[in-house]
Amino acid sequence: MADTPLVQMRGITKRFGGVTALQDVDLSAYAGEVLAIVGDNGAGKSTLIKVLTGVYQPTEGEIFLDGELVTFSNHADAARAGIDAVYQTLALADHLDPAANMFLGNELTKTVLGITILDNKKMRSETERVLMERLGVRLKSLDAPTDSLSGGQRQAVAIARAVYHEGLRVLVMDEPTAARGPQETARTLKLIKSLKAQGLAVILISHSLDDVFEVADRVHVQRRGQCVGVVLTAESSTQDVLGMIVGAKEDAA
Amino acid sequence: MNTAVDPNYKPPLSERLEPYMAVIAPMAMIAAIFAFMAVASPDRFYRISNLELILQDAALYMPMAMAMTFVITQRGIDLSVGSVAVLSAIIMAFLVKQFGFSIYVGIPIALTIGALLGLVNGLVITRFNVPDLIGTLAMDLVYKGLALLLAKGLVLARFPDVLTEIGRGQTPFFIPTPAVIGILTMVAGYYVLQRTHFGRYTVAIGSSPESAELTGIGVKRHKVYAYVLCGACAALAGLMLTGKQNAIQATMAPFFNLHVIAAVVVGGTSLFGGRASIIGSFSGVLLLAMMLNALVTLRIEFFWQPVASGFVIISSVALYAWIQKKDRDGAGGWFADLKTAEGQKLMRFSALLIGVLIALLAIGGVFAGDTAPSG
Repeated sequence: MADTPLVQMRGITKRFGGVTALQDVDLSAYAGEVLAIVGDNGAGKSTLIKVLTGVYQPTEGEIFLDGELVTFSNHADAARAGIDAVYQTLALADHLDPAANMFLGNELTKTVLGITILDNKKMRSETERVLMERLGVRLKSLDAPTDSLSGGQRQAVAIARAVYHEGLRVLVMDEPTAARGPQETARTLKLIKSLKAQGLAVILISHSLDDVFEVADRVHVQRRGQCVGVVLTAESSTQDVLGMIVGAKEDAA
Repeated sequence: MNTAVDPNYKPPLSERLEPYMAVIAPMAMIAAIFAFMAVASPDRFYRISNLELILQDAALYMPMAMAMTFVITQRGIDLSVGSVAVLSAIIMAFLVKQFGFSIYVGIPIALTIGALLGLVNGLVITRFNVPDLIGTLAMDLVYKGLALLLAKGLVLARFPDVLTEIGRGQTPFFIPTPAVIGILTMVAGYYVLQRTHFGRYTVAIGSSPESAELTGIGVKRHKVYAYVLCGACAALAGLMLTGKQNAIQATMAPFFNLHVIAAVVVGGTSLFGGRASIIGSFSGVLLLAMMLNALVTLRIEFFWQPVASGFVIISSVALYAWIQKKDRDGAGGWFADLKTAEGQKLMRFSALLIGVLIALLAIGGVFAGDTAPSG
């Protein structure tokens, strides 16, 4: 693990009117590691990653990418800088085919007679390449609308969209294993490991501590808008983390 | 095997057929009309002049149906096309007839005004967060009122030849000029849908506005674009209508809105967004034009036309809803539902309403006095 974190959030506070969703939170993630963020509902996990991915702007605090201060005014800024997210809803347009979805908002174009048009053929072949080479996923069809694919295949399309960007360094995954069967969960976890092996910093948000301990290197525990600790999975147990999530130590003291 | 697709996967017939339903369904209905008319009134329906008339009628709706396909695919609806068409045509007519503008300037002015009216619709909907249905319905009243204010009851007539050519001209080969214009707009619409960012985002927005927003698509901006396109196409239709009649007055085009929406919906574009079919809209326009023409040919009273249009809309939307419903297991047909407790209650309620009406009619009939003429 390198000394400088690939991405570092320092002293992040986020208020919505009178509600403080995040209070002075630090977070760092290294290249080639999986950092899990866990916490109860309302602990500020989603707000934290939305600040990281530029969807929200922090009220206070700074974000450093590769040691340099960065500010994102929207998600596109963050994506350009190499931070992208795969949301739980996957953000797919179900009526479009996988290739159209993979390039949604970022289409490949070509110029014919001075007019810029979409290059559907190239998008299709690129989709095929990314799915096969980087994710090792096979879809049942590249022509069918995305809603005819299985949950795991749809997720693969959403991940492919994020990893297609050559400059991607940090991938945030929001509940990737929620509502998945055991087999699909195993496949998703394998995918996360292979992304980690490709040198990405993967930030995983999950409620399933089993999954977290299976793939994550470190666990960042959020509780009531604050970070209550970061532990190495190798040196701790699901019981310890669970205790931190519900605040058992605090209450006992 | 170096492919990202499972080679062994064979989609079931229904899934393979689904993309083509938008064309198959209206085509089947068109074929049915052809077959019916071949029996009912072959000598009058199958005349070349009549087929040309059908094309000419259909042509008027083609640009609007194309644009409406985009609006509806984005989960929107534009109920103002009729008055946008009339208002932009009337402004053009005033400029040409009263202020001596050249028709070559008047036509682009009308199209631009249509686009601007569409822009107003789009901004009302996206900036003021007025639902599409209410927003365009209210703007329809505004535009209709403005058209009446401008023209009063006046009929502006006799325009330069260019305009009548657009409205009812004839190319050397069978197809009328307006149909050529209409088909060209349809072809352009097809390519815009398949090959441009606007087309791609239109489907994405209709499929899932949240996903579109998350992927960084300017949802509101592209909604505005769709309404602008719709306004411009409505203005084009207004010009075609003016040319066809060689006259324009503020009360024309009352049935435009529903007719255009009917054509688009019959063509398989989903009112719930995300599913677009330009070819379907084209077939839908043809189908409606043929149906109305058949009604005329069969000498059925004019006032049955809206009844028929409404019937076609309901039946086609119901048909698509039925096709879309993936699992029909255990549904047991449309009437099985009537046997459930809910169905029984609804049946009794309906029976009560009908019973009340019959009772009132009976009372009225029994105590009826002498009639007094209204006039």
